[in-house]
Amino acid sequence: MSRAMKDRLIWAVTFLVMLIICLPGLWVVLSAFRTNGEILTKPAVWIPQNLTLDNFRAIFGLGENVLAIPVGSYFLNSLVISVTSTVLAVMIGMSGGYAFARHRFPGKSGAFLWLMLSRTVPGIALSLPLFILWSWIGLIDTKLGVIVVYTAINVPFTVWLTEGFFRQVPRDLSEAAQIDGCTPWQAFWKVEFPLARSGIASAGIFAFLTSWNEYALASQLTRSTDSKTLPVGLMDFTAQFTIDWAGMCAMAVIIIIPALILTFLVQKHLIAGLTFGGVKG
Amino acid sequence: MAEVTLRKIVKNYGALEVVHGIDLDIAHNEFVVLVGPSGCGKSTTLRMIAGLEEVSGGEIAIGGRVVNTLPPRARNISMVFQNYALYPHMTVRENLGFSLKIAGRPPAEIEKATDEAAAILGLADYMDRTPGELSGGQRQRVAMGRAIVRHPDVFLFDEPLSNLDAKLRTQMRVEIKKLHQKVKTTIVYVTHDQVEAMTLADRIVIMKDGHIVQTGTPLEVFERPANTFVATFIGSPPMNLVDGVVAGGEVRFAGDASLPVPPAFRGRVQEGQRVTYGFRADNLMPAGHAMTGIGETADIDLTIALAEPLGAETILLSELAGVEIQGKMYNPRAVAAGERLSCLLALDHAHLFDAETGASLRT
Amino acid sequence: MTRLRRYARDHAVPLALLSPAVLVILLVVLLPLLFSFYTSFSNYRLIRPDSLWDWVGFRNYLRVLGDGDFWSAFGRTVLFLTVALNLEMLLGLGLALMVNRITWGQRTMRTIMMFPMMFSPILVGFQFKYLFNDTIGLVNNALQSLGLASEPIPFLVDRWLAFAAIAFAEIWMSTSIFAILILAGLFAMPKDPIEAARVDGCSNWQVFRHITLPFLMPFIYIAMTIRSLDVARAYDIVDVMTGGGPAGRTELLWTLIARTAYDDARMGRANAMAYFSILLSIFFTWFFFRKLMAARRHLGAF
Ligand SMILES: Nc1ncnc2c1ncn2[C@@H]1O[C@H](COP(=O)(O)OP(=O)(O)OP(=O)(O)O)[C@@H](O)[C@H]1O
Ligand SMILES: [Mg+2]
Repeated sequence: MSRAMKDRLIWAVTFLVMLIICLPGLWVVLSAFRTNGEILTKPAVWIPQNLTLDNFRAIFGLGENVLAIPVGSYFLNSLVISVTSTVLAVMIGMSGGYAFARHRFPGKSGAFLWLMLSRTVPGIALSLPLFILWSWIGLIDTKLGVIVVYTAINVPFTVWLTEGFFRQVPRDLSEAAQIDGCTPWQAFWKVEFPLARSGIASAGIFAFLTSWNEYALASQLTRSTDSKTLPVGLMDFTAQFTIDWAGMCAMAVIIIIPALILTFLVQKHLIAGLTFGGVKG
Repeated sequence: MAEVTLRKIVKNYGALEVVHGIDLDIAHNEFVVLVGPSGCGKSTTLRMIAGLEEVSGGEIAIGGRVVNTLPPRARNISMVFQNYALYPHMTVRENLGFSLKIAGRPPAEIEKATDEAAAILGLADYMDRTPGELSGGQRQRVAMGRAIVRHPDVFLFDEPLSNLDAKLRTQMRVEIKKLHQKVKTTIVYVTHDQVEAMTLADRIVIMKDGHIVQTGTPLEVFERPANTFVATFIGSPPMNLVDGVVAGGEVRFAGDASLPVPPAFRGRVQEGQRVTYGFRADNLMPAGHAMTGIGETADIDLTIALAEPLGAETILLSELAGVEIQGKMYNPRAVAAGERLSCLLALDHAHLFDAETGASLRT
Repeated sequence: MTRLRRYARDHAVPLALLSPAVLVILLVVLLPLLFSFYTSFSNYRLIRPDSLWDWVGFRNYLRVLGDGDFWSAFGRTVLFLTVALNLEMLLGLGLALMVNRITWGQRTMRTIMMFPMMFSPILVGFQFKYLFNDTIGLVNNALQSLGLASEPIPFLVDRWLAFAAIAFAEIWMSTSIFAILILAGLFAMPKDPIEAARVDGCSNWQVFRHITLPFLMPFIYIAMTIRSLDVARAYDIVDVMTGGGPAGRTELLWTLIARTAYDDARMGRANAMAYFSILLSIFFTWFFFRKLMAARRHLGAF
C-alpha cells in the first residue's frame, strides 16, 4: 500500500471514530427539538418532520403543556452550588498547592498521597455516612450541604494541578519581588499568581465540571427543589409512569451547554494542566 | 553611608551547618567579590545579607543598622539573580518600574527613573518588549537596570554572568565595572570564576567549605596567597606546587632537583622542614626569553613534554620531581616535544607553604 | 508534645497554607468515614435510629463475605473495570496515534476528542439508554430499517448485552482522557531518539515498541491514575441505564451498596460493603500511581 493510501485510510478510520463520538450527542440534541409523538412512532421516522422548541418551553414552564419538573430551579441550584464550591475549592486548593510547591516540611510526600487518596473514595460510599451526619446537623437537602461536600472532593485534584503549575514558576521571581519591596503576600498576587493563572483556571474548570456533573452524592443529599441539581433532576423523568424522552433530551442539552462552553474556552490549558501536574518531576 | 558588616555569621539547615561563623567588613561604596568553589556557601551568605535566608547565628548590619530580622523589602538592597528572575508577564518598562510602583511613587517619577536606568544600560529600544523577546545579554541588562532604579544602599549579585557565553561575559564584565563607577554603591558580588573576581573586585573574599580563607585586593591574593588553596584557585594556569625538604638554603625535591629558598622566606624556615614550593607559570621562562629586571633568579633545565602556543605566549608543560609543572615562553618560537630548555625561575615570585597545612610560610 | 509544638513552629507557614485543605477533607471525608467504619460494626438501620448502638462486631462483614449477590457484584465490578480500563487504554492509544499522523483537520479532531470529557456520567447513561432502547432506540431502529434485525434486540435486558452496553457507555465516556493525554505525550516527544533508532535500522514496529511506547508510559499512567480516581462514576451510568437490574443482572458493587443502604435501609451492612469498594478504588489508584512514579524516574534517562 502506498503511503498516501495509508494516510487516507487512517484519516477515514479516525473520521469514523469521531462520528461514533459525536453521533450519540447529536442524536440527543436533535431529539430535543422533536415531538415525543415522532420519537415514539413505529417504524422509525428518520427525517424530522417538524422541529419545535416546545420541549424547552415546557421545561421552563412557558408553553401550554407545563412539565411537573422545575428545571429552572434545578438549573439555578446547580449553578449556585457549582460556582460556589469551585471558587472555594480553587482558593483552598491554591493555598495547599502553593505549600506543596514552595515549602519543605517533613511528611510532605505522605501528606500529598493521603490528600490524593481521599479523592478515591467512591461517591456512593461517602454518601452513606454523609447522609446520616448531614441529617443530624440539618445540612441535608440544603445547598450549603452540597457545596461543602463538593468543595472537599474537589480540593485534592485542585491541589495537584496548582502544585504542578506553581512548581513551574521559578522560586527566585518571588524573591526578586520581595527584594523589590513586596511583602510575601504582594509577591504572590503580583508575580506568582499571574504566572500560574492558566493552570489555576484549568483547575477551576475541572472543579466546576466535577460539581456540575456529579450525581452519586447529590442524589442522596438532596431532596427537594431547594437543593436538587440538574443531574438529579434528570432522574425525575424516569420516575414517571411513561418516560418523556423528548423532555429528557431537552434537559440533557441544558446540562451540557455550560460545560461545553467552558471547556472550549480553555481547552488548551486543560491538557497542559493535566500533563504538567503529572509528568514533570 | 552603607557599609555592610557580618559578625560571626552562621547558617544551618537542620543539623547541617553550611556557613561557619563568617566575619566580614565591607566599606561604603566598596566592590567586594565572594569567590570560591561550588557549594562553599557564597550564595547562602549573599542570601542572608539579602534577607532571603534566615540567619542562624551572628549579626548582619547594613549602614550601622542590624537587619537580622528585617524582611528583604526593609533592607534597601537590590539583587541580580543568576537566572535574571525577570517578571515574564511584564514588559521591560514594567520590570524596571516595578519596585517604585510597589513603593507607591507617582507615575511621573517612575517614568523618569526607568528612563534614566534604561539610558545608562542602553535599553531604550527594548522598553516595550517582554523578557521572552530579549537575548541573554539584554535580559542581563534589564536585571541590572531593575536593580539600579531604586538607588539601593547595597547591590547584591549572584553569579550574574554565568549564563552568558564567553564573549558576552567579558563584555558584561566591563559594563558592570563601568556601572559601579557611574552609580557609586556598595556591591557584593558572588562568582566562582576567578577571572571575574580579579577584574571586578576592589577586594576579593575567598571562601571554602563555609569559611573565609583569605581577604584582600586582587593583587594581594594573587601575589601573596595565604595557602595552597588560594594559590591554585586564583590565577590561571594554577600555581605549580612541588613538595620538598629544606636543606641548607635550598629546597630539595625527589630525585636530585633543588631550588633556592625564595628571598622572602629566608630565615622563616628550618633545616629539614617539609614544605611545598610554589611558583606561577608566568615566572618560569626559558633563558633568553626572560624579561629584564625580574630580580633574583634560579636556573632549571627542563625537558618539554608539550607546548601550547597561544599566540603572544606559549605555555610549556614539563615535569619537576615527578610533578607536572607549567612555564611560559614570551616572544615565542616553535618548540618541539622532547626539546631540552634551560629556564629561569623568578625567585621574588616564588612561595613556600607548609607541607602539612598548606598555609603560607610568609608570616 | 514538645516535638509536635516545635514542628508546628518550624513549619508554621506551610501548615497554615495547608490547613484549610486538611480541615475540609477531615470534615467531609475522614470524619464521615470514621463514622461509617463504626456503623459497619453495628446493626444500624435507617428506620430504627437507636439501632446505631446495636454493636454486632464482625457480623456485617461475615454476612457480606458469605453473600453470593455481593460476590457476583464484586466479580462483575472487577471484570467491568478490567475490560473497560484496558479497552480505553488501547483505544485511546490507537486514537492518539492516528490523530497524531493526521495533518488535515487535526485541530478539529482534537477538539471533538475532548467532547465526551464534559459529559456528566448521568448524561452518558441517559444518552445510551435512549440509543439502546429496544422500542425507540437509534440502534434498534437502524438495525430494523436496514433489515439486519427483524425483532428488537433487548440491549438493556439481556445479561451480557446489558453488560456490553454499559461497558460501551463507560468506554465512550473515558477513552478520550487516554487519547488526549497520550496525544499530549506524542506532541512532547523529542524527535532525536526516533531518528537515531531509524538510522540504527529499526523497523517502524521496533521504533514504536522500544522508543515511542516507553516515552508514552508516564502519560498512560497519568491517565490511568486520573481514571482510577473516579472509576466509581460508573455507578451513575448503571443507575440510569439499568438501575442494576433487571433482577440484579447488571449490579455493580456501587449499585448494590446504594440498594442495600437506601432501599433495604441496612446502613451497617452497606457500610461494610462500602469499605470493600473503597479498598478497591484505593488499590487501583495506588497501583497506577506507583507505576507513574516508576515510569517518571525511568523517563529521566531521556
Ligand atoms: N535549602 C538547603 N537545605 C540544605 N542544604 C542546603 C540548602 N541550600 C544550600 N544548601 C547547602 O549549602 C551549601 C552551600 O550552598 P550555596 O548555594 O551557598 O553554595 P554556592 O557557594 O553558592 O555554590 P554555587 O557556586 O554552586 O552556587 C551547599 O553544600 C548546599 O548543598
Ligand atoms: Mg550559588
